[in-house]
Amino acid sequence: MEAEAPVRCQLCPPQRALQASAALRRVSDEHKKEPAASSSQHQFDSHPTDQQPEQEPQGPRPSYTGQGGQESEDYESEEQLQHRILTAALEFVPEHGWSAEAIAEGAKTLGLSAAAAGMFHNDGSELVLHFVSQCNTELSELLEQEQKLVQLGETEKKTTEQFLRDALEARLRMLIPYIEKWPQAISILLLPHNIPSSLNLLTSMIDDIWHYAGDQSTDLNWYTRRAVLTGIYNTTELVMIQDTSPDFEDTWRFLENRVADAVNMHNTAKQIKSTGEALVQGLMGAAVTVKNLSGLNQRR
Amino acid sequence: VYQVFENVAQKYDIMNDSMSLGIHRLWKDVLLHKMNPSPGTLLLDVAGGTGDIAFRFINYVNSVRERQLRRKLKNHQNLSWQEIADSYQEEAVKPFGDSQVVVCDINKEMLKVGRQKAQRLGYSEGLSWVVGNAEELPFGDEKFDVYTIAFGIRNVTHIDLALQEAYRVLKPGGRFLCLEFSQVNNPLLSRLYDLYSFQIIPVLGEVIAGDWKSYQYLVESIRRFPPQEEFKAMIEDAGFLKVDYQNLTSGIVAIHSGFKL
Repeated sequence: MEAEAPVRCQLCPPQRALQASAALRRVSDEHKKEPAASSSQHQFDSHPTDQQPEQEPQGPRPSYTGQGGQESEDYESEEQLQHRILTAALEFVPEHGWSAEAIAEGAKTLGLSAAAAGMFHNDGSELVLHFVSQCNTELSELLEQEQKLVQLGETEKKTTEQFLRDALEARLRMLIPYIEKWPQAISILLLPHNIPSSLNLLTSMIDDIWHYAGDQSTDLNWYTRRAVLTGIYNTTELVMIQDTSPDFEDTWRFLENRVADAVNMHNTAKQIKSTGEALVQGLMGAAVTVKNLSGLNQRR
Repeated sequence: VYQVFENVAQKYDIMNDSMSLGIHRLWKDVLLHKMNPSPGTLLLDVAGGTGDIAFRFINYVNSVRERQLRRKLKNHQNLSWQEIADSYQEEAVKPFGDSQVVVCDINKEMLKVGRQKAQRLGYSEGLSWVVGNAEELPFGDEKFDVYTIAFGIRNVTHIDLALQEAYRVLKPGGRFLCLEFSQVNNPLLSRLYDLYSFQIIPVLGEVIAGDWKSYQYLVESIRRFPPQEEFKAMIEDAGFLKVDYQNLTSGIVAIHSGFKL
């Protein structure tokens, strides 16, 4: 639909013209071929002409048909647009907090009216969720790259303890630019209508970390590991938001201790199990010996 | 349409209150809350005659602005004298901020009533009253952040033209909001509602405003208006994206919202 054209133009402010317009145009260029043929139902033919933007340096605007042929493309662009607005809004968070105001400011930097913030929830939930999911994606990429390096043999494989510590530290460091308003974000994530999404994001992040740590358990271990790591992450996050030491040293030390605790507990549990088994075997052996000695085993 | 509202202008507000039992205030409040305007927004209120939406908008924006200022002050506990003096100057220049409302109506009488109300209630800034036809707005392209039409679009002869005009005058990223009577989705309530509309409202019209016919017309025009999904499709046809609607009081009224993206 003809709305696509204004999207393209108004959303590419000069400094971002290259990447943004290239992305949207690529999507629209694929569909250009079909609509061009069936350009009949144009009630909006007049509109594209009076809205020719001056800032659009690239080629002629393709003509669009009505709703039908473009639906999937528009849907894609709407989401992309929303992502772009939210990303732009992130830089206003330190000033306005995680709120509709920050989203409105973000929309303004993209050349849209502040009313576009109405697309999102009034309480800034989407902004927080977007940020968290962005952080998780970044973390995955980081871990993926590390894994590749290990596979290529360029770095050594870390111990599980070290790996977990580094992964959590990397993830928590992404919060540092927003740390002042992070308590607000946490409270937003705990709102009832956000809990499904935020829980989802949290569990998938923990899953990711364990996956790259090489966890292949298929039994109860799977649950306990995730529960433990989730606990460590949440408590470290809470420590971090009230940490005033330089570069959050206290937080990293706390993290180190917690991970060490968890690993120790795991080892202790293993030991107890094996000790128990050994003990049981010993007892069985003793019982058999007693039976032999007392002659109960003899065949009559 | 013009004559109906000429007769009706003076008593419009009273009739609204009595017909909807005062609930129309709540509906309009919900509309504003959904809009959630930030200071600096330019609103075009079409068919906004007596200014209900406009006044609510001004109140809302003012309170948001106050909250913002208070928050700013809290963060700046240690201001130098120069900064304090600067902030006083800034406030004196634009106490209302740069939000503005343009109230547009086809009917001069309604606008007159609206202007008088504004004076009476003490709204002096940021309001403009313009005569205009929703199918052909007297404004340039891409001027407004938000376009609202509350209980007005059913009276427009060519709704699609009005929607196209709305699309034209909105800035990119701008929002279209429409508050209008719609189809009730609950069958029991629907019967009660029909009863109420056809039996009681014209009677009220006669008693309070001395005009049976206009209110008969009102009720009929409500029935003729397309249902929620159909209206949503019409809005999408005009080019709006992310079109959605919210039913209030189980469908008696619906708020449709679309974005120009």
